[in-house]
Order: sequence, then C-alpha cells, then structure tokens
Amino acid sequence: MSNVQFDGYTPTWCPGCGDWGIRVGIKTALNQLGLDPSKVLISFDIGCSGNMNDFLNGYAMHGLHGRAIASAIGMKVARHDLPVIVIGGDGGLYGEGGNHFLHALRGNHDITVIVHDNMVYGLTTGQVAPTASKGYKSKSTPKGIIEEPVNPIVMAITQGATFVSQGFAGDARLTVDLIKQAVTHKGFSLVNILQPCVTFNKINTYQYYLQRAYKLDESYDPYNLTLAVEKSLEVQDEKFPLGVIYKKEKNPYHEQIVQLKEPLAKRDRFTKFESLISEFE
Amino acid sequence: MRFNFLIGGEAGFGIMTSGLVFSKIATRSGYFIFDYAEYPSLIRGGHNAYEVAVSDTPISATIQNIDLLVCLNKETFDKHKHRLNKNSFLIYDPDQFQVDIEVIKIEIPFTQIKNQEKIQQQMLNSVALAASVSFLGGDSKIYDGLVREQFNNKGEDVVSFNLKLADIGREYVEKSGVSKLSVLNLKENPEKKLVMTGNEVFSLATVPADCRHYASYPMTPASSVLGTLASWQYQNGMVVRHPEDEISVINSALGSSFAGVRSAVGTSGGGFALMVEALSYAGIAEIPIVVFLSMRPGPATGMPTWTEQGDLLFAVNSGHGEFPKIILAPGDALEMAQLTLEAFDIADIYQTPVIILSDKLLSESHYTLFKKEIERLFEEYKPKRGKIVQNPSFSPYLRYKIEPDGISEMLLPGHEGEYYQANSYEHLEDSHTTEDDQERKKQVEKRNKKHLTYLESNFKKPKIYGDHNSEIVFVSWGSMKGTLLEAMSCLNTDHQIDSYMVHFTHLYPLDEDLIQSIFSDLKGKRLILIENNSHGQFGQLLRQLTGVDFKEKLLKYDGRPIFYHEIVEYVLAGNKGK
Repeated sequence: MSNVQFDGYTPTWCPGCGDWGIRVGIKTALNQLGLDPSKVLISFDIGCSGNMNDFLNGYAMHGLHGRAIASAIGMKVARHDLPVIVIGGDGGLYGEGGNHFLHALRGNHDITVIVHDNMVYGLTTGQVAPTASKGYKSKSTPKGIIEEPVNPIVMAITQGATFVSQGFAGDARLTVDLIKQAVTHKGFSLVNILQPCVTFNKINTYQYYLQRAYKLDESYDPYNLTLAVEKSLEVQDEKFPLGVIYKKEKNPYHEQIVQLKEPLAKRDRFTKFESLISEFE
Repeated sequence: MRFNFLIGGEAGFGIMTSGLVFSKIATRSGYFIFDYAEYPSLIRGGHNAYEVAVSDTPISATIQNIDLLVCLNKETFDKHKHRLNKNSFLIYDPDQFQVDIEVIKIEIPFTQIKNQEKIQQQMLNSVALAASVSFLGGDSKIYDGLVREQFNNKGEDVVSFNLKLADIGREYVEKSGVSKLSVLNLKENPEKKLVMTGNEVFSLATVPADCRHYASYPMTPASSVLGTLASWQYQNGMVVRHPEDEISVINSALGSSFAGVRSAVGTSGGGFALMVEALSYAGIAEIPIVVFLSMRPGPATGMPTWTEQGDLLFAVNSGHGEFPKIILAPGDALEMAQLTLEAFDIADIYQTPVIILSDKLLSESHYTLFKKEIERLFEEYKPKRGKIVQNPSFSPYLRYKIEPDGISEMLLPGHEGEYYQANSYEHLEDSHTTEDDQERKKQVEKRNKKHLTYLESNFKKPKIYGDHNSEIVFVSWGSMKGTLLEAMSCLNTDHQIDSYMVHFTHLYPLDEDLIQSIFSDLKGKRLILIENNSHGQFGQLLRQLTGVDFKEKLLKYDGRPIFYHEIVEYVLAGNKGK
C-alpha cells in the first residue's frame, strides 16, 4: 500500500449531487487497479466536476474550461507509461472543448475521458448544457433551447474512439467497473456518466434515469459497430443504455509515433546536430 | 563590394528555389548574402520576386538598387524597372517585352528555348540561373554541384538535362558580348557558411535546446518551422504535432511541459490570439512554455505574406490577469540561434511563458552564418532547467512554496509518494485551490518576484553599435538590426555622417534604472525611433516602463520592411532642416 492516498479535501458539492458517487467510483477503480496518486496523470476541466481537483489526489492539471482533453494529450505525449485521465463536465468537454473532443477521438489518444453529463451548467448556476434536450428551459434559454442535443456516444463511436461506455451516477458499482475497463483499455476511452444535478436540473432526476436507463445485458456485443450506433441513438427516445456500448482494438496515437519508444520525458537528449546543420551549407 | 540580384516570375515558376540556389552559390564561393522574397498569399499566379544582396562583408539588409534583374516574365520588369539604372544589367526575353529604359541588356529567348527543348516553365530557371552565375564570374563547378544536390533523387537523366540547360544559358551570355563581372569569383578556401532563414535557425536551435514536443497549427509566416521540425522528428526523436487549432496546440504543449519535456509552440498573430488564455494558465500554474511568434501585418487576416512588427504590445499584454512573461526579439539569424537556446532555459528557470518575437522579414529571409560558429554554440550549450527536479529536496513537497527569488521547486510528475496540481485557480503553497486573501497576496507577490529575479540574472541590456560620440542615435529592436547597420554604414561611407544604434533584444520586462541611465547619457542627441509598425509600439513600451520619450520616429507599415536607403534619406532630410 502506498503512503499517498487518493482522498483529498472533503468535497464541497451539493448534498445528493452525482459527483460524490462518481468520485468514489474513480477512486475505487484506481485503487483496485493498484494505482496511487503518484502513478496517475489527471487533467481536470473547469466546473463542479473539475473541482474534484482538490478532492482527488494525483499529478494533475486543473487547467482551462474546455481544454482538459488537449492538456491530457500533451501529458500522454510526454509520459505514455502513465495512465492519463480527464475529468470534466458536458459543458467543458462537449461544448467549449467540443472541437478537442472530436479530434481526440480521431487520434484514438490513449486517454480516459470521464464526463459528468448532467445536461446543465452547475457552477455557473444553471444554464443549459449542450447535452440538454431540445426545449429545455434554463437561465440562458428562458423559452427552451432551440438546438438539438449533442450525442457524444454516437460521435465517439463514429469518429474513432475505441472504448465508448455510459454509466449512471446512481450506480456506483457500474461506474467502478467502467472506469477500470476504460483505464486499462488501450486507446481513447469515453465514460459518459449520466448524473442528476439536484440543484439546477429538475427534469433529469434520479427518478428520471431510474425509469429510462437500463443495463446492457451479457448477450450485447460491443464490437458490433452497427448495433452500437443503434444503441447510441436510443437517447432520442429517452432511453439510456448503460455499460460498454462500443469497443474496438486499434493502435493508440502514441504507438503510431514511430520515434516514441521509451517515454519522451525519460529518453536521453539528442546530440547529433551535425547532419541537420549540414543541410544548410 | 555590394551586388544586388533579383529574379522574378509568376508564382509557381520555381522562383523561390532558384533564389535560394543563387544564395548558396554565393556563400559557397566565399561571399555573404541576405535575401528577401516577396510573394502573394497564393499558390499559383501572382508575382514572385526573390532578391539576393551579395557582399564580401557581412550583410543583413536588402539593397534598393538592382544590379542584375532576371525577368522570367514582363511583370518582373514592370514592377522593378524603377530600381534599375543605366549601369544595371537585365536578363530578359526580347520576345516577351520591349525595354524602354537605359540598361545593359543580355538577351535570352526563354520562350524559344522552352519550345525547342520541350521543357516546362520551371526548367527555364536552370537556364536563367546558370546564365546569371556565369555572367557574374561564378565557378561552374559550384553551380553544377548544386544542380546535382537539387536533382540527385530524380536520377542522372534529370541532372544531366539540367546541366545541358545550364550550358544553353551560358552560351547566350557569351553571345551577348557583354563582358562578364567578377562578383561571384571563387575566393580561396572559403570558410563554410550556412544559408538559413530565421525560421530555419529557430527550428535548428530547438534541437540542441532539447525541445521534445513542438505543436503548431500552420500560419504564415511561422508555418515553415512546423514543416522543418516535422521532417526531422524521425531522426532526432522530437514529437511534432499539428493539432486541430491553436488552443489545442498550446494546451497540449502545456500538458507535455507539465509532464516533464521542454515544449514549444509556433504561430503568428491570429493564432497567438487563440493561445493567450492558455498563456495566462501557464502564468499562474507556473508551467514553462516557449512561444515562437512570427508577426505579419494585421489586424485579423491582414497581409499574410508580408512583414510588420505590429504585435509587440499584444505580446506584452497577452493573457488575462497579472503574471510574469518574458519577451525576446532576435535581430538576425545568429541572435535567433542564441536567443532560442536562451528562451528554453529562461522558460524553465522562471517556469513561465517566454515569447520569441520574429516577423516575416526575419522568419523568411536567408541570412549567412558561419558554420563553425553555430556548431560551437550548439556544442557548448547545456540545457539549464533551473529548479525543475526529478526528486524533491524537501518534504512535504510544496509545488508553490514561497521562495525569496519567486521560484519554487518544480517536481516532475511520476515521482513516487508525491503528487500536486498545476492549478489554474489561485492556490496555496501545496497547490490546493484557495480564495484566502493572505495566501492570494503571497502567491501574486511570488510570481511578480520572478520578473525582478530575471532582471537581476538574465536580462540583457540593449547592444550598442557604431560610434558612441555620434549625434545621431537610432533606437530599435528585433529584425530592424540588419537594415540599420547597413544604413549606418551608408551614412558613414557615402555621407560622412556618424551614427549609432541602441538595439534591444530583451524587450520585456525592461530594467527601468538601467534603461534610464542609458538614455540620460544620450540627452541632446538626435534620437530616432525606428519601427516596422504605425503606432511606434516599442516607443510606447519604453515610455510606459522607463519614461523615455521620442520626438522623432521613422515608422513604416505598408507591409514591406524598412529599406536602409529610406533611413538614410530620412536622416539627410532631417539634417537639412536643421
């Protein structure tokens, strides 16, 4: 047992917030994988979920809103020997950082992206998030949001992610299981966690999800792309499959950087400048 | 000896390649060059002009007069004939246009040759270039050697065909009856030189600097760094990436820097605008990062392929909130090499962003460097990482420990038994978020202290060039250096006017006392601020930080560099007025 523990400060989240359970899920999963805070790189986004920076220990960046995936990619470039985990919300990772999400999928970067999907901006007191259903009324959309919700699951499946899963903040055991699988998976892994915001979202509550979410059973084949896309579209009928929706074996980004053998931060300094200099004679 | 060669033609004709070959012929023959290319933001069509100033002493400026103009089309002649005089030489195709001014003509029927030899337009460059080199007294072996290097990978047939085309060019020079010059006569045992753009020097210097991750989104005039480093990465092990946007560029570079590798990004003004939020993050989280910022005329998309020093104050004020940043602006290729190495050290030592300011003129013009000097610089260089450590020197480890010099120990992630955050929120010494007033104050003062430590330890005062007793003093920064040196030499030689220059490379922060003392010694002299922008931005910065004010300013903001004759004319006009 290491002398450093994942537990940081006592969280400041609202009582009943799904973040509590997700944090326990992450911590438990990492412990069960035999990791400790000095063996993991974490990139926290900004928001209620990103505030886990002070409640979950690790070598971490608590960077800019929307940019946690970009920073995580850089971490992995330097230290591909360490697991890299992104923790953020739907606003940061699918909204402000949507472009980074899309392109990180394409790269199949070997990072685990854990998204707290509560369809609302909590820390800024309740504006609409990009995952909210059309018509959702919020402080920034008094007559209801005009745009259709983003579908991160179908995006991830079709744009290159190799591990796409969905959890529910009310199911801690599932969260632990998905995070363990995601962190050990080689390549881009998404754990989208449906999570009620007890303070600002009065529609997508625990009851709402308990009625509409269901676990994929053992007969489900996550390697079947067509089936996975079908499952990911069920959200349109307010049905939420939980579990590993899609999986694929594929070389992650860093394994395709041919010059990257030992971790970039650990290799010796290159000193044979002569041939490069001579190009300019 | 100063000789100015210009070759021009339609974009896509291969003018850029020919110009560079000419520059290399000159340096391999023992001379110094400075070249400058003008091209529009187009891939085909439009006009390309490549001029090479050749000299037997170092030169880093373009020359107004053209001594030999090579026209691959009529537009080249029309656009540049005002820079010719009756002693200038003109290589042109009489079938393309009539020459209506007095010059010394060398006729080469390019169109006819193209049809006879059934060659593509680009291959006429071989004819024109060989003719030029032969006319200027260049050694044909040096020319042929470069042809071999250029076309070797295309096979012996292509090489010998281009050598045949070269002979055709040379024959027309003989036929013209114009006596050859000795401009490119081969010197004995010429010292090995390098012909490099500012961008190439920056790229090259990142290798000894041990930069291991370079991320960039293409943007003229910084783009060529990305291409150069990308092509080398399999050889030197650097990871070179082209992410989806500049925001991802810098945030991923910060990720790798946090995780332990020297990292850099490159861009121009518009891309830098997208990076500045992350620059601010690097400031508070104290993550080293080197930003290569090559300026072009803005605002917005501006004039992508032209030059301006218009982003200085933007760089100085970049990023929200107050945090230390350091700005360096090399004056020429050698300083680019030195300051690039220095930038990576300073970024690590102060754990904060360092911006290297270049511009199109410095980034894309070729300069002459002594190969030995660069080799020595790189061999002697040892990265200095300051307080970046693999093992903490105290326990419990505190990432943002208050230290008298403002610099805390930065433990590289992965060390067993420790952890911390690079926190963009204000934080305690142990890196946890805080909103406590006293802790906030301590951290602000700690970060501010870095600037003071830098001014004491790494700031370099401006360099002085020329005669200290002169009454005329030029004040400038960055890429203006070469032009001013040439202007000073011309004023001295042609007009018997002494002058000297105060040239800044370490632009921000500035040591107030030191700068004030330099300028108080200059009271009563004619001080002229020279900048390639319209606001006199460095003048504003100097006034803001040191109280130094300028009455005379020579500012140019038409997208072109300041030419040295413009400075000379300005000085002469001012002297007359006295």
